Amino acid sequence: MPKLNKESLEAFKSTGAAAQDEYIKVGMSTCGLAAGSDAVYRVLVDEIKMRSLNIPVLKCGCNGMCYAEPLVEVRVSGLPTVTYGKVTEEIAIRIVEKHVVEKLLLNETIYDCRYQELK
Amino acid sequence: MHNKEVFVRDTNSTGIESTREFFSRFLDAIRKKGLNEQVLMVRSSDMGIYKKGMAVKILPDNIIYQNVQDADIERIINETLISNRVIEGLLYKVSPAQMRIVLRNCGKIDPDNLEDYLIAGGYQGLKKVLFEMTPENVISDLKKAGLRGRGGAGYPTWTKWNITKNIKVAEKFIICNADEGDPGAYMDRSILEGDPHSVMEGMIIAGRTCGATRGFFYIRAEYPLAVERVKRAIAQCYESSLLGKNILGSDFSFDVEIRLGAGAFVCGEETALIASIEGKRGTPKPRPPYPSVRGLWDKPTVINNVETLANVSYIFLRGSEAFSKIGTASSKGTKVFAVTGKVKNSGLVEVPMGTTLRQIVHETCGGTRSEKEVKAVQTGGPSGGVIPNEYLDTPVDYENLQKLGSIMGSGGMIVMDTDDCMVDIAKFYQQFCVDESCGKCAPCRIGGFQLLNILKNICAGKGKLEDLTTLKRISKAMQKASLCGLGQSAPNPVLSTLKYFEAEYKEHILNKKCRAGKCTALLNFSIIQEKCKRCAACVRHCPSFAISGDREKGFVIDMQKCAKCSSCLEVCKFKAIRKE
Repeated sequence: MPKLNKESLEAFKSTGAAAQDEYIKVGMSTCGLAAGSDAVYRVLVDEIKMRSLNIPVLKCGCNGMCYAEPLVEVRVSGLPTVTYGKVTEEIAIRIVEKHVVEKLLLNETIYDCRYQELK
Repeated sequence: MHNKEVFVRDTNSTGIESTREFFSRFLDAIRKKGLNEQVLMVRSSDMGIYKKGMAVKILPDNIIYQNVQDADIERIINETLISNRVIEGLLYKVSPAQMRIVLRNCGKIDPDNLEDYLIAGGYQGLKKVLFEMTPENVISDLKKAGLRGRGGAGYPTWTKWNITKNIKVAEKFIICNADEGDPGAYMDRSILEGDPHSVMEGMIIAGRTCGATRGFFYIRAEYPLAVERVKRAIAQCYESSLLGKNILGSDFSFDVEIRLGAGAFVCGEETALIASIEGKRGTPKPRPPYPSVRGLWDKPTVINNVETLANVSYIFLRGSEAFSKIGTASSKGTKVFAVTGKVKNSGLVEVPMGTTLRQIVHETCGGTRSEKEVKAVQTGGPSGGVIPNEYLDTPVDYENLQKLGSIMGSGGMIVMDTDDCMVDIAKFYQQFCVDESCGKCAPCRIGGFQLLNILKNICAGKGKLEDLTTLKRISKAMQKASLCGLGQSAPNPVLSTLKYFEAEYKEHILNKKCRAGKCTALLNFSIIQEKCKRCAACVRHCPSFAISGDREKGFVIDMQKCAKCSSCLEVCKFKAIRKE
């Protein structure tokens, strides 16, 4: 990260919405880690790599739904942004197979679904 | 590709059967209309809606229907899916209780990536403060916003900053109090782990406004992940000229470092915290002088809670009015609560001040896990009190909770159902305060210990009626004469439970009975002879050999030998063991 100054910081103001279009986000705060999200994260990274898919696997903090950790948020074009909860390593693999590749949503693991507003 | 997504969930059930059945019927109807290419049907696990029957959520329209019957399926398909019309009568109209201000980026950005924070508007507030505002402007904006300290005391933040700002000395300090010692509270941990820069920005703004040169994060050692993420954030800030000399090319220089706590609850108290940073034992000092006048190394020091600083960065990003329009007249903004205990969905809930406890506990968190009634909600940790069920419609703010005999505290909210014993709760918090008392002043050191002894006796069936008067007298003495907040507020759970649940205390003392079934010394196990099939399973499982008898005459539990372990209750297939 280069040194910032008043002008370069100003430039960030007009960048608008988050840079990534498609992503997989895993909750990696203490609540998530305690529920096993580091294993889920590794499985997702491995699956994506194995299938040579072009979608970043990111980390994020606690979004408040601690009871449903490990949480995985998936945004893939053409589908709403979906948050899967109580994700196990098996479900993580299915997320890649079904959601990312086949563009189908998994049943019985969705805890939140919405279309993200663009800033 | 489909153009509509339909999510279904039976919000009255925790299982998946009823959802699956409704789903099949809906899917059938979709297929009959030839719409299965355009409509993607999904079974949801949880929609954040509770006890509203069958819920149907339709995207991208973002329409949620509740209490949907089978007969409504046709209508929904025809009117909403095909003709894009909303069926008013089925709409789930409750507006979402949560408002994410402090947690605005948590769960969205990567906390280890400074760029994510910048893209989300990070450090724009600091830029404004450094280049477009004077310290007086900042104080006046903070006053207009109405921000009050989120550590629990609710002291107006602008006043604290103003006092320090107006003292003309070369060295002043800002401390971020991340000691978060309340059992069950983890809001500050989540903020530091999920969005450390929001707190950093608040601290640098505080430094600039008050004329401070150094900042300290005092983080409890029990939060290693938070320490790691804040450390990384500090390093990133030094790299990008957000800390150190001439921040962002301005004339302001500020240094920040981390200091670790070491397992003492009392070090969350500001004077004890300062002693800890100075390398001394964490014992409090009498105030005045307050830290804002004479604090760390006798220099003017502003100490703010993590959540307060995260609010500061928001206020200077979006403006004081964006903040002050939320909340009640006296308590502006939002509050993050860590809702735990016997609740169905525990987690962090951020709501505008003025939201009722019922909305938080029932609507957002789904009510009790056991489906039993909420007995009370404990707020404010070991310094707070219990709020019984009949006050669940109280709008939450600093003044209202105080009127009920509790406090807002740092935001821990523990939900209790009828299986919780109020005397046991008071005893638990008292044990905590006795363990954590620094021992410097007699009222806390001796009074706390005596309170605990009395509570232990009551729970063991050895209480006397005069004990209730003694509890109140000791409590009043501790409140008046203790040196710091720990001792002054340690009696709060005792006084609060006595105020609302005195009948339960008397039951323990006079009837030697614990209605919640929690105080093991008062439990009595007996065999219901009419239900007993004399299989002797309980005899075999009893670890104390307390059950005797035979197949002809029946079996009997000897309470003298009974260890109150409930093994017999758990192993009996005929529900023939009575526990009371």
